[in-house]
Amino acid sequence: MQDFLELAVSATASGCVYGLIALAYLLMIRPTGIINFAVGEWAMVAAFGGYVLLTQHELPYPLGMGIVLAFMLLVGWVTERIAVRPLVEKGAGVLAPILALLGVLVITREIISVSFPPDPLPVPFAVDIQYYKYFVIGITLAVFVAAWLFFEKTVWGRSFEAVALNRRAAALMGINLSRVTAFSFAGGAAVAGLGGLLVAPNISAHYLMGVPLAIQGFTALVIGGVGRVEGALLGGLLLAFAEQFTIRYAPIPGGFAQGVPLLFLMIFLIMRPTGLLKARA
Amino acid sequence: MRFLGFLACTLFAGSVFSQNTIKIGVITDRVGVSKPYSEPATEGVVFGADEINRKGGVLGRKIELLIEDDQSRPDISAALARKLIDQDVVFILSVSLSPATQQQQTVTMEAKVPQMTPMNSADYLTTQLQNPYFWQTGPLGSVQGATLLAHARSKNLKRVALITDNSDLGQAIGKAFKGALEKANIQIVADEVVARGATTAMPQMQKIRAANPEAMFLAGVLTAENVLIFRAYKELGVKFPIHSSYNLSVPIYETVAKGLIDGITFVDAYDPDKPEVKAFVAAYRKAMGKDPQNLHGYGYDGIHLIADAIRRAGSTDKEKIREAMQKTDYAGVMGKKGMKYTFPEGKRAGFDPDGMVVRVYEKDKQGRVVYVGQK
Repeated sequence: MQDFLELAVSATASGCVYGLIALAYLLMIRPTGIINFAVGEWAMVAAFGGYVLLTQHELPYPLGMGIVLAFMLLVGWVTERIAVRPLVEKGAGVLAPILALLGVLVITREIISVSFPPDPLPVPFAVDIQYYKYFVIGITLAVFVAAWLFFEKTVWGRSFEAVALNRRAAALMGINLSRVTAFSFAGGAAVAGLGGLLVAPNISAHYLMGVPLAIQGFTALVIGGVGRVEGALLGGLLLAFAEQFTIRYAPIPGGFAQGVPLLFLMIFLIMRPTGLLKARA
Repeated sequence: MRFLGFLACTLFAGSVFSQNTIKIGVITDRVGVSKPYSEPATEGVVFGADEINRKGGVLGRKIELLIEDDQSRPDISAALARKLIDQDVVFILSVSLSPATQQQQTVTMEAKVPQMTPMNSADYLTTQLQNPYFWQTGPLGSVQGATLLAHARSKNLKRVALITDNSDLGQAIGKAFKGALEKANIQIVADEVVARGATTAMPQMQKIRAANPEAMFLAGVLTAENVLIFRAYKELGVKFPIHSSYNLSVPIYETVAKGLIDGITFVDAYDPDKPEVKAFVAAYRKAMGKDPQNLHGYGYDGIHLIADAIRRAGSTDKEKIREAMQKTDYAGVMGKKGMKYTFPEGKRAGFDPDGMVVRVYEKDKQGRVVYVGQK
């Protein structure tokens, strides 16, 4: 029983991180249809930001976190300006920015790789290590509640939804499409960055951390569905519970337990390709 | 016209310069997976070459290093070996990943250019290809396993757990550990894998705790994932000792796993009490203003082994260098006290199978040697 509870907390904390990465994808996919796999690298950039500000310069955690997240907003905004907007303005399809963003992924990783030492670098815990999982869970819940309120209760959020439902109609209604796109990228980068910053004390900041996070977040997104904000969190939690409880309790050799979440993903893609939660009509 | 004259001068000057130096190619990894190992090793090579040059060079000529980056990718490394050979290197020093080094051999074997790796640990490098122009002086993977196991046998273990990661090397070392443990009739009560990119090792460590082993063998080589294992170990409050692969000899653990590693034993090829190591550390600190790691020692030994062979060959003729290299009898920084690199009976793997040591982390520092060799 003690094992079960310990593991449930651990899986919830991991699931929250996956959920944040999934939310980052979702923020950009909803209004633009663009899948941005660079979210993992954004998480990595924020983790290195945490290393620079919190480990090297020993700033107080809230201040360091604030600076990192503000920086991530800027990173997302700049990325949209240089890698997405020029393509969209020239009338390219959705695939062109997706490929351009894969380029951003590689460039980001190489910049980090040559700018920092090769080994994983420590990032401090925000609170005592025993309570850190609850801290991660609390922050994540706050972000999801804020995102939900934003989309459901504010005019701004409704305009995002409108763009998601019908770009042309939204534009005709006077919604500024490029502004919505810019905000969605800035928000996506900040949320991905938050995920990276929260997970960094556990997995350390290192230049290869981005791709696994991008895959886990994407899997969570597929499970939860791109239609609703809370789907991202649900998908993340389900994925993390499937991963960790299979390893702990399934009577299969250690090496094979890794494959179970992927099996889970395949079943979802076949049985329920739209994810668990459907978008409201 | 003036430009052409200038060009001719620079080309001429260039060729005079190159005739006066002995060119040695270095293939390293600056951005790929083996960067954490390759970078310090390459710094060791550069430091060693500078030291040799300061003392008058080799055969009265200076060593010139031509450094290339293959990102640990076999598909790139062979082309780089070819490029270096086209630039007239007399020796290639390989410090990226084993598969990349293996691929370079297809070129050096055909071109008959001497090549060596001072740190790659794959056992197959000198056995799969009969390439008389290739040598390996790092400790083999099998030697690591045997040394760690000899230490374990001295503790009379009966029931152990094994944990590794899903990287190629982690799997290979895990398999080697498993084979050696089974051969020694030590029961493996839990056999776990932590995947690259995992965010926790809690479920694996819970399973191991439930199996109640006397000790845990750690075969993983991914630093971040190993730190997850240590963190779960601490969080779960388990007490069994951890015996680790060679990966724990990378000093980054002193900072990234602070407070988690006290008492962990690990295989290493570096004895801080050895006179050669003390001299190396002092010289490196004086020249570079920082302490070297054990990984620097591999590169340092590598360039010295090459310089030693060229000196004994008395020329830069590649065939003579090959003959001299095969007759190497050299004590370097790496290995237990008194160990010498040799290639007896035509073998080309030169690290003494009894040359590794087991060390222990004392607080957050890599500490004393607690076991030597594999007997």
